Amino acid sequence: MKRKTDVPQGTLALMILKTLDVLGPLHGYGIARRIEQISRDVLAVNQGTLYPVLLKLEQEGSIVSEYGASENNRRARFYRLTRDGRKQLQTELRDWEQTAGIIGRFFELKAKDLS
Amino acid sequence: MRDLRRFLKRFRNLVTRRRNDERLQEEIEEHIALQTAENVKAGLPPAEARRQAMLKFGAVEAIKEEYRDQTGLPLVESLLYDTRYALRRLRKSPSFTITVVLTLALGIGATTSIFTLFYDVLLKSLTVANPGELYRLGKQARCCYWGGYSQENEYSLVSYDLYKHFRDHTQGFAELAAFQASDPLFGVQRSGGTESAQSYPGEFVSGNYFAMFGISAYAGRLLTSTDDQLGSPAVAVMSYRLWQQYGSDPSIVGSVFHIDNTPFTIVGIAPPSFFGDTLRSDPPDFFLPLNSETLVPQADAGDLNQADQYWLDLIGRIKPGAEPTSIEAQMRVELKQWLLSHQSEMSANDRAKLPEQTLFLRPGGSGITSMRAEYEHWLQILMMVSAFVLLIVCANVANLMFVRGMQRRRETSLSVALGAHPSRLVRQALTESILLSLAGGMTSLVIAFAGTHLILFLAFPSARGGAGLPIQASPSMPVLSFAFCVSLVAAVAFGVAPAWMTTRVDPMEALRGASRSTARTGALPRKMLVVFQAALSLVLLAASGLLTAAVHRLESQRFGFLQEQRTIVRIDPGLVDYQPNQFTILYDRIRASLSTIPGVAAAAICQYSPLSGNNWSSSVWLDGRPAPGPDEDNVENMVYWDRVTPGYFSAIGTQIIEGRSISEEDTATSQQVAVINEAFAKKYFNKENPIGQYFGRPELGSSRNYKIVGVVQDARYLDFDFDKPIVPFFFLAEAQHDVVAKTGADSNPGSHHLHDIILVARPGATVSAAEIRQAISSVDPRLPIESIGTLGEQVSNQFRQQRMIAKLSSFFGMLSLVLASIGLYGVTSYNVGQRTAEIGVCLVLGATPAQVAALVVRRALALVAVGLAVGFPLVLAVGKFLGSQLYGLSPYDPAATLLAILTLSFSTLVAAFIPALRASRISPSEALRAE
Repeated sequence: MKRKTDVPQGTLALMILKTLDVLGPLHGYGIARRIEQISRDVLAVNQGTLYPVLLKLEQEGSIVSEYGASENNRRARFYRLTRDGRKQLQTELRDWEQTAGIIGRFFELKAKDLS
Repeated sequence: MRDLRRFLKRFRNLVTRRRNDERLQEEIEEHIALQTAENVKAGLPPAEARRQAMLKFGAVEAIKEEYRDQTGLPLVESLLYDTRYALRRLRKSPSFTITVVLTLALGIGATTSIFTLFYDVLLKSLTVANPGELYRLGKQARCCYWGGYSQENEYSLVSYDLYKHFRDHTQGFAELAAFQASDPLFGVQRSGGTESAQSYPGEFVSGNYFAMFGISAYAGRLLTSTDDQLGSPAVAVMSYRLWQQYGSDPSIVGSVFHIDNTPFTIVGIAPPSFFGDTLRSDPPDFFLPLNSETLVPQADAGDLNQADQYWLDLIGRIKPGAEPTSIEAQMRVELKQWLLSHQSEMSANDRAKLPEQTLFLRPGGSGITSMRAEYEHWLQILMMVSAFVLLIVCANVANLMFVRGMQRRRETSLSVALGAHPSRLVRQALTESILLSLAGGMTSLVIAFAGTHLILFLAFPSARGGAGLPIQASPSMPVLSFAFCVSLVAAVAFGVAPAWMTTRVDPMEALRGASRSTARTGALPRKMLVVFQAALSLVLLAASGLLTAAVHRLESQRFGFLQEQRTIVRIDPGLVDYQPNQFTILYDRIRASLSTIPGVAAAAICQYSPLSGNNWSSSVWLDGRPAPGPDEDNVENMVYWDRVTPGYFSAIGTQIIEGRSISEEDTATSQQVAVINEAFAKKYFNKENPIGQYFGRPELGSSRNYKIVGVVQDARYLDFDFDKPIVPFFFLAEAQHDVVAKTGADSNPGSHHLHDIILVARPGATVSAAEIRQAISSVDPRLPIESIGTLGEQVSNQFRQQRMIAKLSSFFGMLSLVLASIGLYGVTSYNVGQRTAEIGVCLVLGATPAQVAALVVRRALALVAVGLAVGFPLVLAVGKFLGSQLYGLSPYDPAATLLAILTLSFSTLVAAFIPALRASRISPSEALRAE
């Protein structure tokens, strides 16, 4: 059995934004599935936790939602990235890369690098 | 930005009570349906597929809750819930709510009404444009005249000449205005009116006075610089308050008023909010240009054209950006220049003091603040006293809250058992406290309003129903916010401890179902509160005792004159155009006329009667000794003097110790004589016999002006320095005139305007005001009578403030006593209730009811005894503090302290007796059944 990791709060929002950015409008289940796929099931999102985050993003104006028809032809709520959301994604991506880069360098740190 | 957007959305949801529950439910169902479908595709049987889908989704209820929290503003929502809940609970126990609200209202109201005075008298700025730009001359307010070319410590009063010098040379001032330092009364009569002249306060001001303050007329126009020139038509500005007395008649503007028999045209009405430059209880009703002083030669104003007569205060508005310190430095230079230019007219002493003459500029946004200095101590003491009362109130309410918390123990422990968060419970309890406190604060405004009115009435009974007072009893914005803040602080003070106690419950208790716990939770804090209350009440009672004793001591001191049967009639002969040599005849005729009134035993006239608020002073030059040098020519060596008619000492009731009184034989042509008091004799003659000695006044240029013919007992004339021994004093004969040696001129013609007639009634007889008026007007109907009152009133008016403070602190002391007794009663009766079973057992085992009652009372007394022990050192400290602040107050007054202790112990007994009685009447069988 694979060990599953919990997702930190802010990261989940980022994942949602990126997913919507790449794949276009999706409903909640769709987003959950994609995140699962991309993380190769390493991330076990308690799928329900997605919804409060979606609400928060919507309140902030990063995404908007509207009704549409789902694969099994039921009424479903689709989420779409707004221009604000795209901008937010870019900033956060930059921040993330920066942080990851710094942390990465520290992990590669060896005694001789500092001598 | 994003946070703001989110907040607004959430806020809208909160207000519209929109819930997204349905939307979430829909989404969850859709989500699970899709997942189930996928699982089925993967080969799971439908039931299992749905179960797996649900598992993967997670805890639905938890997510729903999180979602809900995101939708609205949970903090605000719970606050609203708490408020609604608290309101419901308070409504359910109206007697508790009303008791607490009223108790709080008393405490907050007392504090607020004192603060209203405190704010108006000590903190408020004048209601003028940009008070921050105003600067005044002088560190201390100095009243009201000064002569010569040197001033003690600092130049704070100026002459017209010096004012013009400053005004024309100081660049940093946008406007520099001068105005009269004293507050004289003017005899005023509307032209064409039928009424006789009435006296109103007024003052001479420079033409730019109103421009400097930056205020504009309510009607008509205010004074300008062109009005303040020699030869300009005589114009005046009237106060809004006086205008109202004339029915706000628009024709007042432009009409003529006779002010001290000189016609002035009223050009405008000052705005309602303007009370003049000085905070005082009788603000001026007329503003007259400085130059019109020559038209109305007032005995108590300075002479406009005399460079060394200082009678004006200065306030200036500095230019934006100007530095007050550099203006001050510049004015010091200007002062030196001006003094040097008058060097030829200076006395030798003044010339010696020239180098040390200096001046100070101080922020003047509050105007001249002599009233502040006068009331500051009192108001601070009152503020402290009311803060003590508030503390006691808080302790009392905290006690009630504790009891309430105890009664709710079961409910609270049930909540805790069900998983309520402690912080939420505390918040709930605090919400209740704050609601109670705010209700108390709101009710207190009514009490504060009434209280302030009462205090103002006690302090200034003469102030025309308070209309003329620059102090408003109605709450202003700062007062409202003060009451609000005090309420909040009080809520925290009395609410926090009981709220915290509620969280310390054991959830097991609820499950055990024990409604009456044996746990001692809350007993100690409640006892401490009672101890605290007892200590504070002791302090307040003792302090009020000290203050009352001090007032009594002031009023019953040896004044050196008699008050009984004596009436003071105040006249102003300076307003009628008598020649200097006519006064003696006038006074003789007044005395003769008054003596014909049946019941009048004697009548004499003096310039200023004792404690009337005015006195002349001078230094003295003893014959055969050197003239006083610069070191002796100062305030400490000032001797005061008065001018009197024959028969004065017997009329006022001051005993002649040696020699004779001033009599009919002292005429304009006979040897000039003086009668001195004991202090004078002691200071200047020590053991020598002063009778027959000569002394003079340096400003008259002689050491042989007066021959001493008598010594009288010391009597209090000055209305200040009550804590100091009576100062040296001499009395001169009205019929004799002072002559300056060099010029031969009369040096003090104004000192022959005698103001106060002393009328002595025969024992048992009363003299009516009408008879007095009739007798005086039969001598000269033009002679204005300013007032008629008893000498006793004049004396007791001196101590009105002190009496008021003593009364108020006694009232606060009683209030605190009642509150502390209620607190003790509450604790005792609660304890009796708690220990019903225990008492029942005692009774069964053979204790008598009296023993049970004694047990209860003993416990209550023990608490108060601890309170007394804690309070006693505080009493000493407060006594010491009060003693340092107020004269006539002895810091350690065993009688007052003992009385306070006895009063407190007695009311403790009463408060404990009722529950003790109840305890002794407990029926043992019932008590045991209750167990």
